[in-house]
Amino acid sequence: MTRATDIICVFRIQLAGTRREVGPFLLAAFVFPAAMYLFTNAVVRGEVAAEQSRVRFLAGSIVFSLSLTSISWLGYLLLENRFTGRLKLFATLPLAPSSYVFGMLVFAIAQSAVSTATLLLVGRAAGIQMGPNFPLLIVVILLTILCLCGLGVIIAARARSFSQGSLLTDTLGAGLIFLAPIYYAPDMMPRGLRVFAQLLPTTFAARAIQTTLAGGRAVGNELLALSLMAIVTLALSFRLMKWRED
Amino acid sequence: MTTAVESLPQIEIAQTTRAQLHEIAVQVRDLVKVYRDGTEANREINLDVRRGEVLAIVGPNGAGKTTFLRQITTELRPTAGAIRVFGVDAVAEPERAKRTMGITPQEAGVFERLTVREHFELFARLKHLSKRAARKAAREAIAELELVAETNKRVGALSGGQRRRILIGLALLGGPPLLVLDEPTTGLDPSSRRAVWDVIRRAVSIGATVILSTHYMEEAERLSDRIGVITAGRLIAFGTLDELLARVERSYRVSYRDPINPLSELKIHYCASFAEAQQHIARELLSEYSIERASLEDVYFTLTGEPFDKDEADG
Repeated sequence: MTRATDIICVFRIQLAGTRREVGPFLLAAFVFPAAMYLFTNAVVRGEVAAEQSRVRFLAGSIVFSLSLTSISWLGYLLLENRFTGRLKLFATLPLAPSSYVFGMLVFAIAQSAVSTATLLLVGRAAGIQMGPNFPLLIVVILLTILCLCGLGVIIAARARSFSQGSLLTDTLGAGLIFLAPIYYAPDMMPRGLRVFAQLLPTTFAARAIQTTLAGGRAVGNELLALSLMAIVTLALSFRLMKWRED
Repeated sequence: MTTAVESLPQIEIAQTTRAQLHEIAVQVRDLVKVYRDGTEANREINLDVRRGEVLAIVGPNGAGKTTFLRQITTELRPTAGAIRVFGVDAVAEPERAKRTMGITPQEAGVFERLTVREHFELFARLKHLSKRAARKAAREAIAELELVAETNKRVGALSGGQRRRILIGLALLGGPPLLVLDEPTTGLDPSSRRAVWDVIRRAVSIGATVILSTHYMEEAERLSDRIGVITAGRLIAFGTLDELLARVERSYRVSYRDPINPLSELKIHYCASFAEAQQHIARELLSEYSIERASLEDVYFTLTGEPFDKDEADG
């Protein structure tokens, strides 16, 4: 019960801080990914702009949004807390570091829920034919967020300075999208990069979201891969996030 | 002030009787901190802080004051030695030890976009107060820190002094039996500084024990029951102001200007007694002078060999 209260309080502190920053949040979580969706649609117009491509682009934009909120935006907040002395304030409390991380994860999940729902509405408004398998879609999105948030926490915990950490989270947040075959077919990549791209969490996430948006269920491999990645990144992030220095 | 201290187990340590132990809030034994780069920040520090007393830690910049406090607050793991806070092993059980503490770190930051009330209520909840108790504690803290007019203002809109008061107020939430304040008044104007002193005095009057580090000799003299002087990582003196003053052999200070050149710099001459000071005045034919008893500043100079840097403290 105490732990739940701790997590909720950390979440509320972040929420209260961000509610006055709706603009940047919308830009990162919605406007940018939605623009990417429109851009990719425009680029392939006249080619095989089949319905399948539009679903793929929407799935890609959802993953893009998750990446920006979970790595770039969350990473920024974690770095801000660390390098402005706010983390020290948490460290003065009888609060477990894991409760702090969980509170931040809940915050990232809430943000991602808003951005994903908005992008789905945009897809619907754009006339994309979808029959989402919602329970499975939620599971895929949750695992993707956990996996990506883990990366954000690791960077924020290890960065030597605010600018170094910020650069890393921004690069990773966008890089994981453009290195994965999300907005283009895998065979358009150089061969060496293709193998690497297949191992990225964003690749698994985009594939699983695309399948579930189309109402499919065959995402067992993707769920397994995302689960393993989430376990590894979160375990590492909990290990690195500690109040006490040696 | 409600505390959980009564329920904490009493420990048994050789050389310390159970009755003495009951009076001890913080016990530090053979504390050593060596950083990874080899810097010895604290060396063989031993001290006991009694319940209900104010201990001021003074020393030059980089002496190891903050390192010492950060080990007590469990933020930093000691290389060797033991720290017990109300009987709890702070090295082995940091979270349990922290439940007894209110801490104001030197460089902690506030959440600029939260209001003053939100800060106090949310952090009171994080100190495991019930919703109702958190609201009450927040109201009381805001009133005590004279921030009522700022209750619903964003902290980002407040002055540096007000923010510092908020940090101290957060440490006071829930009435912890031990307050650890790292330079609580640094950067505050004299009026805010006195307001913080009053807050600390009120906390002590209802039973709190306080350990603070400070750059202000006046603060140490006025607030503390005992003073520890740390330099080069060592606790070189520890005791009441009178006990420390007794260590200064030449405990009278004559301040004067050269009678031939009144615009020259102020000169200081230390004497062993009042009579010797008078003899010095007669011998030098001084017409404008003052004779004072030695202060903590003089003790500091005698012990550390460094003049106390007022500019630094005021900065």
